[in-house]
Amino acid sequence: MDPLSIFRLFVVIAAAVAAVFLGVGLSTRRQREYSPASGLRTAFFFSLSGILVTFLGVTLPRMPYPSDGEIPDRVIHVVGKQFAFAISENPIETDAQWEEIASFAPPVEIPAGRLIEFRVTSFDVNHGFSLYAPSGRLVAQTQAMPGYLNRLRVRLDEPGRYTILCLEFCGSAHHRMRGVIFVR
Amino acid sequence: MARSSRLNVMRLGALWATLLIGSSLWAFAGEESVKSLPNEGRYLYRPVPDIPLRDVEGRPLWLSSLWKERPVLLTLIFTRCSGICSPLLRSLKSAVEVVGGLGSDYHIVVLSFDPRDTLSDMRELADHLELSGKRGWIFAVAAPEDIARVVKATGFWFVREESSQQYDHPAMVIGIREGRLLRFLVGGTVAPVRLNEVVRELRGEFVPAYPLPRPGKVIFRCAQYDPESGRWRPDWGFLLLLLPGVLTLFGTVWIFHRGRFFRDEGGPGEGNTRVS
Amino acid sequence: MITDRALPASGWEVDRQRWERLTALWMIVMLALFPILLGLGAFMRIVQSHLLPTLLPEWFYAVMTLHGLGMVGTWFVGGMAAVSYIVARYVRPRPVISHIAFWATLLGVVLLLVTTLLGKFGVGWYFLYPLPFYPAGVWPTWATWTFLLALAVLGVGWTIWAVDLLYAIAQRYSLRVALGWPYIRSGTGPEIPPALPIVTVSLISALSGFLAAVIILVLSVLEWAGTGFSNDALLMKNLIFFFGHVLVNITMYLGVVLVYELLPHYAQRPWKMSRLVAIAWNTVLFLVLFAYAHHLYMDFVQPQWLQVLGQVSSYFISVPAAVVTIFSTLVLVFGAPMQWTLSSLLLYLGVMGWAIGGVAAVIDSTIAVNVRFHNTLWVPAHFHTYYLMGVVLMLLGFAAHFGREASKQPENGRLAKVIVTLLVIGGYGFLMMFYLGGAQSVPRRYAVYPDEVQQGVTYAQVSLAFIALLTTGVLLYLWETGRRYWHALRAST
Repeated sequence: MDPLSIFRLFVVIAAAVAAVFLGVGLSTRRQREYSPASGLRTAFFFSLSGILVTFLGVTLPRMPYPSDGEIPDRVIHVVGKQFAFAISENPIETDAQWEEIASFAPPVEIPAGRLIEFRVTSFDVNHGFSLYAPSGRLVAQTQAMPGYLNRLRVRLDEPGRYTILCLEFCGSAHHRMRGVIFVR
Repeated sequence: MARSSRLNVMRLGALWATLLIGSSLWAFAGEESVKSLPNEGRYLYRPVPDIPLRDVEGRPLWLSSLWKERPVLLTLIFTRCSGICSPLLRSLKSAVEVVGGLGSDYHIVVLSFDPRDTLSDMRELADHLELSGKRGWIFAVAAPEDIARVVKATGFWFVREESSQQYDHPAMVIGIREGRLLRFLVGGTVAPVRLNEVVRELRGEFVPAYPLPRPGKVIFRCAQYDPESGRWRPDWGFLLLLLPGVLTLFGTVWIFHRGRFFRDEGGPGEGNTRVS
Repeated sequence: MITDRALPASGWEVDRQRWERLTALWMIVMLALFPILLGLGAFMRIVQSHLLPTLLPEWFYAVMTLHGLGMVGTWFVGGMAAVSYIVARYVRPRPVISHIAFWATLLGVVLLLVTTLLGKFGVGWYFLYPLPFYPAGVWPTWATWTFLLALAVLGVGWTIWAVDLLYAIAQRYSLRVALGWPYIRSGTGPEIPPALPIVTVSLISALSGFLAAVIILVLSVLEWAGTGFSNDALLMKNLIFFFGHVLVNITMYLGVVLVYELLPHYAQRPWKMSRLVAIAWNTVLFLVLFAYAHHLYMDFVQPQWLQVLGQVSSYFISVPAAVVTIFSTLVLVFGAPMQWTLSSLLLYLGVMGWAIGGVAAVIDSTIAVNVRFHNTLWVPAHFHTYYLMGVVLMLLGFAAHFGREASKQPENGRLAKVIVTLLVIGGYGFLMMFYLGGAQSVPRRYAVYPDEVQQGVTYAQVSLAFIALLTTGVLLYLWETGRRYWHALRAST
């Protein structure tokens, strides 16, 4: 489900909607008998419902919530705090550890193509943990919520430098809050 | 609450975080040494080396043959232990009785890291604990170099004390599934609740998120994670979330009930027809 | 004409003039706030275009907070005022309550201006807990208190307003009639305007949203006042998004009421109450309570059943909108002897914007897609479509209609077409830049775009051209409509 394809699909549908509205608008040039078009409405109802049900069926199994069974190859701990991410292979439990890791720790390296589990939380406000691939594509994201631990399981296939951008508004330096990991 | 004291409490709270996520750090009198207790976070999902063992009947078997069948709870002890080992095993035994699933969901491997321990020593230990022949319990020994590999991979350690001829070591129960370290418990007392968590993960159940302790008393949560059942129980916060809808429903009914004094009662239908 | 039973008189019967003056007042406030808030929005895009490199980013976020809350509030009160006027034809709300709401709104606006522009309070319009309590050295404590006070003032004023309007309905119609239930059962019933069930549904939903806001405020104050309690971030997030989602949806529905009431007048065809309308809006009443969960998909902490419920309800709430309202709009207009005026054009195009925004919203409410779109520019793209090209056009359409009726001035057809063209091209062009940004995963709510998403800057720069067109259209509209209000005011004194 590549965002650009979805965007193109959206543009097509939006253009179709606009075309219909334009067409109906132009139709007022010639007056016609009012018709409730109930047959057409019924058809519209069934086709719309059918499309929605189909999409539900296709997309619900693809939810990003990991399910039972799989064992990840690696765990990476992430803690967000105004305004940096501390990313480490070891658990981050105190503010002092966060400070040290966020400021001084070298970027974590993870193997490409393996199942990685990110354990994400926050020490202050809601942040958003996101992974942008070297190509600029947003690969995955989860929220960093204080008092909770979110577990995001993802496979990073593209090797290179991944950027983590904060994706939940968290204050005046929200746009500068970032992290880096390397995939080899 | 002042910022600094909040931070201090947060630090304390974060330290408690590992309780829910991983190892239970239980304090127990005197038995543990000053050396640091292993932190589960460092070893999560790491592969455990496959080593050859010999069980009390002298049968050789590979550790992997066990974890291929079903997950393994591994504990490392030595029979001449005058300290933590017996209490640990007894505690594990009673916790297992409470939690269940032994033999069907997992095996327990009691492995000696002491090169002096022989098969008959292990058999004696098993008898002593009334676990001989019990389904799911496997008492075994292995070669020192193999023990060393396992020890290295799991965070366990042992140090010989010449004066007492004893080994100093942490009490650990290590959960292994498909050859990977999934969880471990550290401490001489195995609480059934903690064991339950480990067993659930061994079974392959996934918990998507955990609540971590927060500074100050959290007044309303949506749900409480109950480690015993492994389920989320709705808490007062959930009711609070339902409150707006429920109150609105009652409020609306009340508003319309009061309004009836102005509406015309009787007649063909309320909301009398009107031409405006 | 009047039945022989003693019925409560409607607002129009009792004092139509007063209602007209009141509505005119509200419309003037709405039309005055609009360009200011639009300017604030333009300011945001200017900052994102890198045209003000020395500006402190905290100003961006303070303006963002004011713009968001201001717009949400302005169109809500505009919608309530317009709908109150329409509904006063059938029932009798109390004008004094509208005045209370008016002053509460003004006071709330002043407090918001103070906290954002003086205090630099920048938490975003839905003030996600616990951000108001973590200023990171930007805003002082008094700004947080002022903000909470502003919300309380607005909340009290608007809740009283909603309750009064609902009570006015209750004084004439029973709940089952107000919700159109007889029509569900038998396809017919007491003659009620289709606006009635929509308004009833909207008010009931609004009340639940306001109650959630009360809970949020109480819990926030409990914590902030230093009682030692802290709140559960997940619970607060659920409450806040429930409140916010319901409030903006209600605003949309209030705009839709105007379409149901006014468009038939221009199409010279009736839009009657029917079983479809009743079923559609009762479905909405139910589903709108659960759809809010689509804001929490990326909180893996949420129970999975609630996530799925969020997607299912978000998907299916589009059905009554599309199959009943939007389809009926098209059927109403098709081949009708339509009077295309500024008003009817705007109302009609507002429905189109609602439809397009709905498509984008349904797309984003798909969990598997949301992974890529959550908190990117796709989010402001779709809600600006709903608002700017949806409910805003509907309300501008009403304001134009009302102004024309009040001033009895003739329509300037050519100017109307120019205005509409500028609004549509400017508006959709502006939106397209957001959609493109979202498709490329550019994050939302960024004062400055980092290198990885530099295309965000380009899109912001291009959007400025469209904003210029849009603003021209808005100013022409304000001129055209404003002079009618001026005329009407002069004529009444």
